[in-house]
Order: sequence, then C-alpha cells, then structure tokens
Amino acid sequence: MSDSKVVLITGASGGVGRGIAQSCGAAGWTVWIAARRALEGARVAAEVTERGGTGHFVECDAAVAADVERAVATLVATSARLDGVVLNATSGLSPKPVVFTDVPIADLQDHVAVSLRGLHLLAGAVYPHLRTSAGSLVVLTSEAGFEGKAKLSVYAAIKAAQRGIVRSLAREWGPDGIRINCVAPLAGTPAMDRAFDMDPEMAARVLGRNPLGRMGDPETDVGPIVRFLLSDDARYLTGNTLMADGGSCPIT
Amino acid sequence: MIASRLDELVALAGALNADLAVVPDCPVAVGDGDGVVAAWSHAADFDRWRAGIAGGEPVPVVIVAVWPDSHRSATLVCTSAAEFARRLEWPFAAWYAALGAAAARCADGGAIVALVERPSPLDSAGWAPESGCADAVEALVRSLARSEGPRGVRVNAVTTPARLAPDRPIAPPPPLSTFPGRIDAEVADAVAMLIGSGTTGVTGAVVHADCGRSWR
Repeated sequence: MSDSKVVLITGASGGVGRGIAQSCGAAGWTVWIAARRALEGARVAAEVTERGGTGHFVECDAAVAADVERAVATLVATSARLDGVVLNATSGLSPKPVVFTDVPIADLQDHVAVSLRGLHLLAGAVYPHLRTSAGSLVVLTSEAGFEGKAKLSVYAAIKAAQRGIVRSLAREWGPDGIRINCVAPLAGTPAMDRAFDMDPEMAARVLGRNPLGRMGDPETDVGPIVRFLLSDDARYLTGNTLMADGGSCPIT
Repeated sequence: MIASRLDELVALAGALNADLAVVPDCPVAVGDGDGVVAAWSHAADFDRWRAGIAGGEPVPVVIVAVWPDSHRSATLVCTSAAEFARRLEWPFAAWYAALGAAAARCADGGAIVALVERPSPLDSAGWAPESGCADAVEALVRSLARSEGPRGVRVNAVTTPARLAPDRPIAPPPPLSTFPGRIDAEVADAVAMLIGSGTTGVTGAVVHADCGRSWR
C-alpha cells in the first residue's frame, strides 16, 4: 500500500464514523463516506476535504446487499483501488434499553441486519479489492461486547458477535495479506447522548469508572486509533481489538 | 434443560437427571436476500415458545444448549446469505429466546449454565458465523449475570468445540490428549461444576472445556 490511502467508512454521516473520516482526511487520505443520510454524509465528505483529504459520499444502507455492492463498485471505478474499510454502521436501536426476557425476537432483526449481515455483505464486497491492496478492515465494536449489559443485552451480544467473526476472519484472510481488527470506542456522540437520555443513570456509570475521567472525542481520540489500524504502521496487527475507551473497560 | 433435540444433549439431560424442553427448529431461508428477511417472519414462533416455557414452575437450575443439527465449515466470503442466516442469525435468535426463557424459569438463588459450541480460536478459520454466535452467547450470559444477579441467580457458560474441531489441529497441539473433549465427560464435568455448591461466588464466567485449546 502507498502512504496515501483510499478508505471506505460505513455509517460515517455522524458520530464516531464522522470522527474517523475527519482523522483520515487530516492525513490527506481519500475517504468515501457510505451512509443512508445523504445530506449529513455529503457534509462529512466536505469536512474531509477541508482537512486536506479528498472526501466523497455514496448513499448506502449497510444492510442491503445491492447498496453495499454498488457503493464498493462506485468507489473502485472512481478511485481505482481500495486500501482500507471501516464498518461503523450500527442499528438505530442500539441505545434503546431492553428487558432481556421481554424482547420480541423480531426486534433482533434490525441489529442483526446492520451489524452482522452487514459485516458479511461488506466482507464479501471488499475482499477482492483488499486482497489486491493487502489492505485492512476495521470493525467498530464496543466494550459492551466484552462484559455484557443488563439493559443493552442485544447490542452487547451483537458487538461480541462481530469480534468472534473478526477472530475467524483474521485467520481466513491472513494468508492473503489482509488484516482485520476491531476497535471498541467510548466517545461522546449523538448516539451516546440518546443512550444517556434514555437511561439517566448511565452517564454516572460510564464516567465513574473511567480513569481518564472523560468521554473520548471521535476525531482526536478514536479517529487516530482507527487510522493507525488502517495504516502500514499496523502491518503486523490482525485479529485484535483495541480498546479506545480511556481505560474504562475492566476486561482487555 | 432447554436444548435442541440432539442425541448428545438428550443424553446429557439424562445424565444430569434434568427434564428436557426442546428448542424449536430454526426456519430455513428460501434463497438469499429477500428470502433471509422473510424468514424472520417466524420470529413470533419463538416468542410464543418462550412464553410457554417461562410460564412453568420455577426451578433451581436451568441448562441451555442451542445447537444446530449439524455443521458445515466454509470461509465467510464463500458463505451465502441464506447459509449465513442458518449458521448465525437464527441460532443467535434461538439462543436469545432460550436464555430469556431460562431466566424466567430460574428460581431466586438458582443457577443458569449456557452450554455453547465454540471453535477454539486457533482452529476458527471457516467457522466465522459459529465464532460470532459463541461470542454473542458469552455476552448474553454476562448481561444476564448482571440483570439476574440482584435476585441471587448465577449465570455462567461452558464452551466446547467437540463438533467443530478439525481432525488435525494446527500446531501447537492441545495440551490434553482428550481434545476436543467429550460431551458426556469433560463438558458434563464443567457443567456440573458450575451448577454445584462449589461455585456459589462465580457468575458471568466462561469455562472453556476444550482441553486447554483456549486460554481465554
């Protein structure tokens, strides 16, 4: 891979995905924002360009196969290569508190569609291009996947499942020179704000155990860690999960 | 015991002197894409089944094992959408329903043990959906340990690669020659340990009964 990367980030119209895009833009990379929200996505692409990179937006629902395939095809047709991919899209139900024994099983589908089926779809679409570039895939997971959550059991399980898939995929893709890792961020985002709104005690629980005593910033705290995993500096790192959480999670 | 109807699990229920509640079969997607989404219309069947199990008398110990009839290894990029649903989406949904039923049935101060099929990390190539499902169940166990802990219920997991292990594991060899472990021996022993009186302070733990193939 060259020093200047071409990367695709799903779910990057806001929150952590936006911060990752901004961080990659600041490195001068070409960044494709793949998201459902066109207005917000185009705005993030412009922010990438403002920071010295080249920003593009492509409309994409990460749970729809045709969308994912079209987004990747558009990217490759325009930029001629694909060096790195970030799966950041997550269900809009992620911050919604649930009671384990009462969750209608049908409610699992949206989580599954975006985060698990979406990972399967994305992996299949980008694999030939990452094999050509000896590239890198990064999956945004969560500390919830390590330790479980009493009121976010579906979200926690889905995030854990992604780590399990990544562990296997690192072994399947390693011989092709493709690396795949996870990042578990803790960052101040609109989604986290909604979670705090829905569970007022959550903020105290989250910050009370954080040795750095603050929420991470998506662009300056989380973005550089993901950018590192996408870069050649991480060329010997695969199958791992980096905790970008200020030391919050007790399980590492 | 809440489990799939498999000979190994029926035998385990007998060895543990447990009543067996059978987990419904998962739906089969007809084709990829829309077929996978359509299969989710069967989700309400799991709701009804869970409600039926949950309505029974409380019991002190519940063991849960949701295992598919059989396994086929394939790399993720060679796995169709329908096959991905069969290997991960529906087993996950079934696990969620079964563990919810277990929590509803488990008496205060009781114990729940999830018996999970999990490929050992060294041997996990070709088993991405199964690795994902196993990790999901581990997180569900920890979520339940948190939510049910205040009423004294312990929730733990035992993992086994017994039906997923390769005939020739890559180097280094597993520490114990009994790898990958037998359901009626090493695995049953680990389950018995976690429901026994010697583990009253253990909850949210995952014991890999894989003869030393996994360290964590």
